[in-house]
Amino acid sequence: MTDGRVERLAGLLTDYSLELREGQVVRIDSLEAGAPLVLELYRAAIRAGAFPYTNVGLSGLSESLLQLGSEEQLRYLSPIQWEEIEQLDALVTIWSETNTRALSRVDPARHAAHIAAQRKLSNRRWERISGGELSWCGTLFPTNAHAQEAEMSLAEYEDFVFTACHVHEDDPASHWSAVSTELQGRAAELGAARELRIVGPETDLRVGVEGRTWLAADGRYNMPDGEVFTSPLETETEGEIRYTFPAVYHSREVEDVRLRFEDGRVVQAEAARGNDYLQSLLDMDAGARILGEVAFGLNYEIDRFTRNILFDEKIGGTMHLALGSGFPQAGGQNTSGLHWDMICDLREEGEVYADGELVWKAGRFLAEPVREVVESGVGEL
Amino acid sequence: MNSESRVGRLAGVLVDYSTRVAEGDLVCIDAGPAAAPLVRELWRRVLAAGGHPHLRLDVEGAQELLLREGSDVQLDWVSPLRRSEVERADVRIAIEADVNTRGNTAVHPERQARAERAREPLRRIHFARASAGELRAVVTLYPTAAAAQDADMSLSEYEEFVYRAGLLDREDPVGEWTALGRRFAELAEWLGGRKTIRVVGEGTDLTLGVEGRTWVPCDGRENFPDGEVFTGPVETAVNGTIRFSYPATYAGRRVGGVELEFRGGEVVRAEAEEGGAFLREMLALDDGARRAGEFSFGLNDAVAEFTGHALFDEKIGGTVHLALGASYPESGGRVQSALHWDLVCDLRSGSEVYADGELVYRDGRFIAGPL
Repeated sequence: MTDGRVERLAGLLTDYSLELREGQVVRIDSLEAGAPLVLELYRAAIRAGAFPYTNVGLSGLSESLLQLGSEEQLRYLSPIQWEEIEQLDALVTIWSETNTRALSRVDPARHAAHIAAQRKLSNRRWERISGGELSWCGTLFPTNAHAQEAEMSLAEYEDFVFTACHVHEDDPASHWSAVSTELQGRAAELGAARELRIVGPETDLRVGVEGRTWLAADGRYNMPDGEVFTSPLETETEGEIRYTFPAVYHSREVEDVRLRFEDGRVVQAEAARGNDYLQSLLDMDAGARILGEVAFGLNYEIDRFTRNILFDEKIGGTMHLALGSGFPQAGGQNTSGLHWDMICDLREEGEVYADGELVWKAGRFLAEPVREVVESGVGEL
Repeated sequence: MNSESRVGRLAGVLVDYSTRVAEGDLVCIDAGPAAAPLVRELWRRVLAAGGHPHLRLDVEGAQELLLREGSDVQLDWVSPLRRSEVERADVRIAIEADVNTRGNTAVHPERQARAERAREPLRRIHFARASAGELRAVVTLYPTAAAAQDADMSLSEYEEFVYRAGLLDREDPVGEWTALGRRFAELAEWLGGRKTIRVVGEGTDLTLGVEGRTWVPCDGRENFPDGEVFTGPVETAVNGTIRFSYPATYAGRRVGGVELEFRGGEVVRAEAEEGGAFLREMLALDDGARRAGEFSFGLNDAVAEFTGHALFDEKIGGTVHLALGASYPESGGRVQSALHWDLVCDLRSGSEVYADGELVYRDGRFIAGPL
């Protein structure tokens, strides 16, 4: 028996996130464990009059390539992949691992070489996405492996995931439309601020954001979603921050990260566990010590840390400040091979000031945001 | 022998012998999810041979959904992925692994015919590239409970059957296939000079013109398992009646007790005890669907019993089969069609085959010629 929530998630993705239209070519990417959602998406796309096809991988194949492949095989991009990417109007990525640690023992250098080669393809994909030629949304289909990372049973994790996507109730699209309106209002309001000051346990950080654009993450590119974010001014971060949740990068965890910033750059960093890894990532390149993102997590259906950035960065009442590359569409100028989202829990005693005025306390914005629909997005529905 | 090592042997024969994967080859593996153990083995062996494996894994239920709910334009559409695969692959390994061989029984035959027609251009590219030597393509089967069910066997009995049919229980499967290939080549050459083949059996008296056509030996490179020698009959020179002993399954539907009458190369009468409507729909698919694109002798003695799957049934030693629809260009056959449907006739008792009037085959065995 199909879980009605899977069907609603599929409909939400095609109708709301991708706004899939008749005649559009849509590819559904997944691993085999995501098959139930793949099939529902396929059905939803057929009903929308689109041309869906599936691109389903099999667990275990990446390991084989990374273990056995020659240099040439690791770096190979097939003409099939290149030809396809130009022809897509829409793309859904379903993360659905059967073992989240399958690549833990792979030689990091070989892995990096493979990722670097694949990046050429993903760069082209992002070019088409930012050019408005391709719509994309990433989501997750619950598996035992992801549940295990979150320290939950599969049934509990399914409840968690589907509630976060708001597909446990009828008409999730109206929910997300309302979220979109709210987040766009917040973004507009924050757009007027010159500086944010974040105060919490062992945290007092000033982040310059003048002239930068705040963006609402309202379920178009990720499902679930729920954050507003920008890229801060590269030279104006001052003070210190303590990240309460483990910072995860490429499946490796660093615990209790503390950073001190001067003139925008990290000048002191330490971690209770994984300090060497933290230092090596900070030394990756010149941009790795600079913030590329500051964001408010505003999805209050996500109430706990689950070791998956798709959810963790949206936990209602948290902020995340990412080291590394910024977002050009937000005005960010920092470039780096790194983009490491680190999450700071402000639900207990956090405060945020915008230009000296208290706007956020204990994980909530204080005043109702300006109810102003900014430009595109909601209106198009 | 455990099942893992049999899968490994199958993968090894497919990569090293059937498709001869070489360094730099783009190898498309086309499979259903039930074939995952074989796909994983193939992946490793393709990498070891220096190839670049590429996977297209079906999603259970998607094709059925398209056939049930798709509009005409959706049925007519072919994904850019499929097109690129057919145009770009150096090697293609297709693995059948149905989890339900009858899932499409309730689909309207006309809609199924439409989806088949849409893929015709791809099939044409595939055959053209294969004939030109640009594409090495093999079709095989990974044993599933559904296929075992069609064969009236348990899964483990069916696995035994499948691996035995591929000679994978032998010490040196590649050596066996190579030796068989030589014998089939001799038979093909011996049949090559003939003008007519006449098949006589119970309810069957069919004469096929084969003058100027090439007989092609099948030694495990395009089908695995294999074992047949086939040609493409002269399109206007098939006359008489043939009754097929075995039911035939095509695109998830079964037709049984089929009797066809040919005149001037074309089917003029078609009857079936089971699935007659579907048979007629397929015959009406296009102009080529009413013609015999292939005639073949089944020569694999490790396949003795009917199991309801053409890949095996058409190889049964002592049978012949005739395909409605497309010819293989390498045989000289010129039938073009979106259809290629193999129908098998058991000749193991009370049957004879004449070549240019000479009795050459009786009760399932050649009594003249090199075999």
